[in-house]
Parts: sequence; structure tokens; C-alpha cells
Amino acid sequence: MAKYTIKRLLQSAVTVLIVVTIVFLLLRLLPTDYYFTEDQLMKFTDQQKHDALEAAGLLDSPGKQLIHFYGRLLHFDLGESRRIQHGVAVTKVIGSKFTVSMRLGMISMAISLVIGVSMGIIQARFKDKIPDYIGTVYTIFVNAVPGLVSYSLVLIFGSRVLGLPSMYSTRKATESSILPIVCLAMTSIAYYALWTRRYMVDEINKDYIKLARVKGMSTKTIMVKHVLRNAFVPLAQYIPASLLLTISGSLLVERFFSVPGMGPLLTDAINRYDTNVVQALVMLYASLGIIGVFLGDILMMIFDPRITLVDKGGTR
Amino acid sequence: MRKSVSKMVAVVAAAALVLSGCGGGSGQSTQGTTAGSQDTQSTTAAGSAPETTAAPVSDTEPIKDMVTYETQNREVETFNILYSQSATDLQVLTNMYEGLLSNDPKGQLVPALAEEWGTEDGGLTWTFKLRQGVKWVDINGNEKADCNAQDFITGLEWILNYHKNSSANTSMPMELIKGASEYYEYTKSLSAEEATTMDNSKFLEMVGIAAPDDYTLVYTCITEKPYFDTVTTYNCLYPAPKALIDELGVEGFIAMNNENMWYNGAYTMTSYIQGNEKIFTKNESYWDKDCSLFDTVTVKMVESTDVAYQLYQSGELDNTILTESNLNTIYNSTSNEFHDQLVEMRPTKYSFQIHFNYDKRNEDGSVDTNWNTAIANTAFRQAWYYGLDLTAWYGRTNSINPLKCENNAYTMQGLITFSDGTEYSKYIEQQLGIKDYDGENMRRIDKDKAAELKAQAMEELSAQGVTFPVGVDYYIAASNQTQLDSALVLQQAFSDSLGDDFVVLNIKTYVSSLVKEVREPRLHSFVINGWGADYGDPQNYLGQEVYGEDNAYYSANYSNANDLTEGEIVDIYKEYSELVAKANAINDDLDARYKAYAEAEVYFIQNALAIPCYYNIQWQLTRVNDYSKINAMYGIQNNKYKNWETSVDAYTTEQYDAIAKAYEEGTAN
Repeated sequence: MAKYTIKRLLQSAVTVLIVVTIVFLLLRLLPTDYYFTEDQLMKFTDQQKHDALEAAGLLDSPGKQLIHFYGRLLHFDLGESRRIQHGVAVTKVIGSKFTVSMRLGMISMAISLVIGVSMGIIQARFKDKIPDYIGTVYTIFVNAVPGLVSYSLVLIFGSRVLGLPSMYSTRKATESSILPIVCLAMTSIAYYALWTRRYMVDEINKDYIKLARVKGMSTKTIMVKHVLRNAFVPLAQYIPASLLLTISGSLLVERFFSVPGMGPLLTDAINRYDTNVVQALVMLYASLGIIGVFLGDILMMIFDPRITLVDKGGTR
Repeated sequence: MRKSVSKMVAVVAAAALVLSGCGGGSGQSTQGTTAGSQDTQSTTAAGSAPETTAAPVSDTEPIKDMVTYETQNREVETFNILYSQSATDLQVLTNMYEGLLSNDPKGQLVPALAEEWGTEDGGLTWTFKLRQGVKWVDINGNEKADCNAQDFITGLEWILNYHKNSSANTSMPMELIKGASEYYEYTKSLSAEEATTMDNSKFLEMVGIAAPDDYTLVYTCITEKPYFDTVTTYNCLYPAPKALIDELGVEGFIAMNNENMWYNGAYTMTSYIQGNEKIFTKNESYWDKDCSLFDTVTVKMVESTDVAYQLYQSGELDNTILTESNLNTIYNSTSNEFHDQLVEMRPTKYSFQIHFNYDKRNEDGSVDTNWNTAIANTAFRQAWYYGLDLTAWYGRTNSINPLKCENNAYTMQGLITFSDGTEYSKYIEQQLGIKDYDGENMRRIDKDKAAELKAQAMEELSAQGVTFPVGVDYYIAASNQTQLDSALVLQQAFSDSLGDDFVVLNIKTYVSSLVKEVREPRLHSFVINGWGADYGDPQNYLGQEVYGEDNAYYSANYSNANDLTEGEIVDIYKEYSELVAKANAINDDLDARYKAYAEAEVYFIQNALAIPCYYNIQWQLTRVNDYSKINAMYGIQNNKYKNWETSVDAYTTEQYDAIAKAYEEGTAN
């Protein structure tokens, strides 16, 4: 297991490095005009543009820039933001945001898991009956209605009927987190309910369940001990990645409720050509994604001991 | 002469400030406040002015804690005012920093950190007498240091030092101040360590700035610049405390934030959560003890103007601009709770023009000969000028009073006035023979003349091989439905006004950058773009169109006139450029200077080198009296939350109309 883990980690490190290198080179292939704002393009003379690019090291060859980038990486120096927060270390820019996204994301995930999985179980248990229809209607509604429309409905209902704050506020963090969490959880609940129901229905129709029924096991025992456990295996694989990627936040929800989180950061950084922030985020998300998949494999193995990740040689 | 006038201005302004001290708070606009250009058209809705009931304005209770908003794409990028060139930053930072001079609600210069100022040699050297007792404070309002003339020297040195400010904000000082360019080049020749550690003796030796004592500042210009005092309202001449730079280091000063910076402005920013909200708190050490400030101003960052409207409805904001759909909804329903509170905004500081491209290329990079030949023909351009009826298109911005958006001058209205009180753009209109506003028709439209010019152009151009209709490529942002809707209205306006046999508007799209994808490859036939001034002189407008100047923004970047070498159009540009140069040489008589500029501007418009297009006038719901705000057509002062009159009850349409009328009559208090 240890050998496997080390091997996976090394593979992961190489993958992250390749991803970061590709992104770095792609960003350097963009015309240097993207380095400037429209205001700067308007006001800078050609000489000033040249001077600014030279000072930023962007006139060096991509190879030289890449070596410089690797050198900084070895010292855990991700550089400074140029546009998101001028001159501020990228780690600081990200650090101030990820805790907010993570907190909201984890709460909504916990809620989603509990409600979504329970909903899926109930739908599977009462397949083609009213609870199943209600769950299906909810799932279809959430997936069919555009996010901003459903968020608007939540906002109007939450603020006008329940009197909750319309916008996130650090001064009323608990109260103002309710509506963003509801919106975040809405989609995830539908996701977990949909797949839990689907996997459970698959399991219910299998022979070993029919055998268990014939042997006289109670429905509750069959559903919880056998069906759910087996149905949850494919879902379990994605839970660590989902959990870790709560750090990345949600672009739509965070923008809509003005949550100062990570959600809009990557798109903002790309739009503003803030290369250091883009590179740091790509590295972070790639790392989290890879670690998440790895942990998912482990979790899947725990849920289903029949699954092994290493070659056991002559074992049967 | 100028000095004594300035003293009088200072006294009058001080009196005005005392009188206006009874005012309350204020709100905020999402429009840009700094110099530069704007490409987009804002849109609102349609109808006729609602009938309203009035409440006496004087009875209203002012707001103490203002809550306003900004859309999330307009977040602050830096707290270093010397670095920023963005309207988004500067409309925030203007509340945290103070410069030498400011403006009043009429746009006139008023004292700020300088109590007196003037020039005695026609604008070559300028002396500013600074007020004593001004303090730099930290975020908690603790006094850190005196703000004096040395800080202005430190500020200018920072801007001109190649290794400190990334060349930002250097253009105006280098154009205006003696030795500025030379010092910039000198620092460039140094290593970063040398340039960031040296003292300022070399700077003082090379650059035309001096502090004979701690409260006197003298600038020496390259040549006479009678408008130099207006430049001091712009951040390129703002102060910086040396002690703070010493404390934070160069890197730290570049990256400073609201928590470690020092303030000398009206507010400190006591809370800053990027993408969420900012809270300004009144600076108790602010120099102007007689002005009215809010206790706090909270700026909420919202996803869109629609969300802002929802927040306004729930009482969480004190103002909101209205989108076209929201305005229509409110306007068309007399029972709507906001129907009587629709308020027309004042124009933003941008004067929008139709800028032609005289050296257009096709998408494959080849020269678009058909267009280039057509647009070089004076009758062709003049047919547009007299014939293109933009009323419906104005309705996209202001559907209630679309014709208020009509612009008939190149220079923004309100930028300057003659000594007899005549406003410059009104003078231009008089010279052009533009009719008075009647709310019914565009004032410059002359259908008969347009038809004659069209026939003339078609005859002349057909002889030159031009094929009709001439294709006109107009670019909008892809996936921007608002711009597409406006473009379709514009397309119809072209068809209705000029005829499909003459021109056809082709709506094309770019992905993310008009500059990089359209303007630089020269794909546009024309661009509608607004210019907002850096300083209070027509040169800042008209100088952007002169021929053969690399720094002339529109000639170099939009019209590409600088690349033309022959033909009638070059002769017209040269004549115009000579008129501008002649005006710029008049430094001892401002009225004569302005009249000379007006002559150049009239010549420019009559030849339709570019066509005046529109002013951005939208509608809003607000508890803020916009007419009490600073309203200068240059500089960065406009969004200062100072002396704003407010009302806890939203203003009604009728109240606002009365306020506007009183303002226009010069009786607003």
C-alpha cells in the first residue's frame, strides 16, 4: 500500500507539473497586449509598453521565463498578483478567499449528502410511488431551470418572506450564509438523490437481494446493509474530490450573493490576464483534483473490500 | 491676475462649503469618473415623463450611513493611487486621498490641500500654498505624520521613477513638467536597487518641482500651460508620505492595502472584503471641518444592476440605476410604488463621438478600398452628419427623454466656460447653427441637405469606382445581448435615415477586446467612443484628433489618420491641426484661447471628421441629490462622498426636476 501511495503521489506530482507547464506556456503565447488594461493601452506610448513588459520579464524567451518560474516554485514563491490585487502575494490573495468558499462548500456538501442520499433511498424504496415522483420532479426542476433563475427565486423568497440577508456579509456570516448554502445544496441534493436512487434500484434488482428476501431478511436490513452499501460505492469515489474542491467555490452562487470566495477568482484572473494567479489556481485545482481521485480510490476500497488497488500476485 | 482670481475663488468656495455644510450624505454612480475613453452604450427604457407629487426638499431628513453599490466587475485593483489609471479604482481612492485642488458641484476648481494657487508668467510656473495642519492618518484615524510639500515631491518622484511605478501615470507629468521625461529615462538607466534607494537630490535637480518651504510647492512647466492647475485634480500629482514608504518598503508600498496605508482624504476604509463590500468611515482628522460627510459609507459589490434593484426594493440600498426593463416596468405602471420616484441622472463626463476609420482593413488583412475611398469623401461624411437620425438609438439609453442624449459638440459640455459665463459646448452649437432643444427632433438633422449631400457623394464616389451600398462594419461584443439589441436599433436607424442604397450597417462581433481584436487590426468602419478629460482645457479633447502626432489618441488609434499621406482628407486634417496648434499657443487670454479652440472644433465638425454622437443620461431611483455632488468634467474628484445632500425618503421626480431647474438657474444651494 505504501509503495502504491508513493507511486501515485509521484505520478500526481509529474501530472501537476505538466499541467502547470502547459498553462504557463499557453499564457506566454498570448500577445503581450493582453498584459495591459484597455486604459493602459490607451495611455502608454510604445516605449512605455516595452519598458513595462521588459520590467515584468515578459520579453525574455518562454524557456528563460519557464526556468525562472521553476526557480521561484522551488522556493514556494508563486509571485504577486498584477490585477486582482496589485502587488499582493498570490498566496495571500488566495488565502483570504478559500476559507470562505470551503466553509460554505463543506456545510452545503454535508447537507446535500444527508438530504440527497436520504432522498435517493426513499425514492428507491418507494419506486414509482408518490415519494419517488416528488423526488424526480425536484431533480428535474433543479436541473432544468437555469441556476440564476432558481437563485433569484431563493433570494426573493428568502429575503422577502423569511427576512434573511440578500447578500453575504462577514458581519452576519451565519445568517447571510443561509441563502448561498441553500443554493449550493439545491443542485448537489438533486445529484446525490439521482445517483443514489439509480444505483440502489440497480442493486435491488440483483439476484443476491432477491435471495436475501427469500431468506426472510427484513426490508430495512436489506436496504441499509446491502443495497445502500453497494450502491454507495460508486458515489463514494467522488466524495473526497468534491470535498476538496469545495475550496474552488461556485462561480454562479458566489457572484450572485457577493460571497468573497474563490468561485469567480479563476475567471477574473483569466479575464484580467493575471498570469501568476491563474498559474497558482491551476496548480491548486489540479493538485486537489488528483489527490481527490486518489482518496476516492482509497474510500472505495474501504467501502468495498473486494476492490484492491495493488497487484496481489498469486492471490485469488 | 490669475493668483488674485484664485484667491477670490478660494474665498467664495469656502463660503459655499460653509453654506452647504447643512447637507446630509450621498450616494454613488456606477459610471466611470476618470479620464479616458468608453466604448459601451448604457441602456434604459421608454415612455413620457411620469406625473408626480412633490414633497418639499428642505424637509427631508439626511442619511447618516449611506449604503450604495458597485457591480462586481468594478472591483478595486490597487490602493496605491499613484499607480492606478482606472476609473474603477479612482472613484474609490478619491475618498481616501486628497490632492492640491478639488472641484465643486459646478465643476469649478476649489481649494483642497492648497489654499491658494496661481501663475504669474502665463502658466510656465505654478505656485501652490499648502494649508497647514493636514495629517496623514492610519486606518484607525491615528495621526501618523503631517502632509506637506515634501509629500508631493515624493509622490511625483515615485511616479517618474521607472523602477517604482511601472510607468503608470507618467504621460501627463512628462508632457507638462520640465525635466520629467529626462528623469524617467535617467532612472531607467539605473539598476532597480540604485533607483529605489537613492535620495531625491537628483530628482529635484532634474525635474521642475520645488518646495521653498514645507507649505509652498512650485511646478515649472515645459511651456506655458494655462490649465495646469486643473491637472492637480488628477492623481498623477497626488502626494505620498515618505515615512510610509520607508515603513513598508518599495514592494510593500506598491502592494499596500486599506489596513496598512495612510490616509489624508475624507474617509478611511475600515473594512474591505474583495467582491463583497467596502466600508468607509469619516476621517475625523480631515482638513475640511466645515464640510458634511457621512458617518459611514458602505459600498456593496453586487452581481448586476438587477440585483441592485432587488436590494433597493428591500431597502438595503440608497440608490440604484435602472436597467431598460426595470425602468419600463416602473414607468408603464402608474400603480408601481416607484413610479413617482423615477429620476433622470446627469450626463457622465464622457462625450461620445462616431469615430471613422480612414485606413480600414478587411478581415484577411487587405485594404478595404471601397470604404476608405468613401469615407475620405467630405460629402459622404456630411450626409451622415445631417442625415443620421439617432433618436430611436438614444432611446436605448434614455427612452423617456431620448433627445436629451443628443450631442452636438466634440468637447464635453461643462468642461469650461468663457468669462461671460457662456458654456463652451453651447458656444460651439451657436457657431454650428444648431437649433434649440424641442424634445421632438434631433437638432442638427437637415433632411434636404442630407439628400443633396448623399446624391453628391454617390456621384463623386461612383466616378472613383466605389460600389454602393457601402458596407459599414460595426463591432459589438459577442454574447452581449444588450449591445446586440442596441446595434439592431442603430442598423435600422441607418436604413431609415440614409437609405439602403447608400450604406448598409454590418453588425460584427469580437470576443473579449475591442482594442486587440478590432481596433488594432483596423477592422472597424467606425467606433462609437466617449472621451473623458484628464484636465480642464479643450486641448485634451481636440489634441486627440490632430494629424501626425503619435500621442493623439484618436488619430493614432481609431481614425488612423496619422497613416494617411495624400488627398483632400489629409489637407482637412492638416488645416484642423494648424487651428488647434494656433489655439494652444494662446496662453495669456483664456477667452481668446477658447475661441480659437472653438474655431478648430467647428471646422472639425463641419467637415465631419468625426461626428458628435451622444451623452450618457440614464434613470435611477435614489435618496441622493446628484446636483449636490462634485461634478467636474475632468479629474478624479466626482465620486467624493462630500457635501452630498440626501434624504431618507427617496426623491420624487418632481423634486428632482425642481432641483435640476434651480441648479440650471444657478440657485442651487
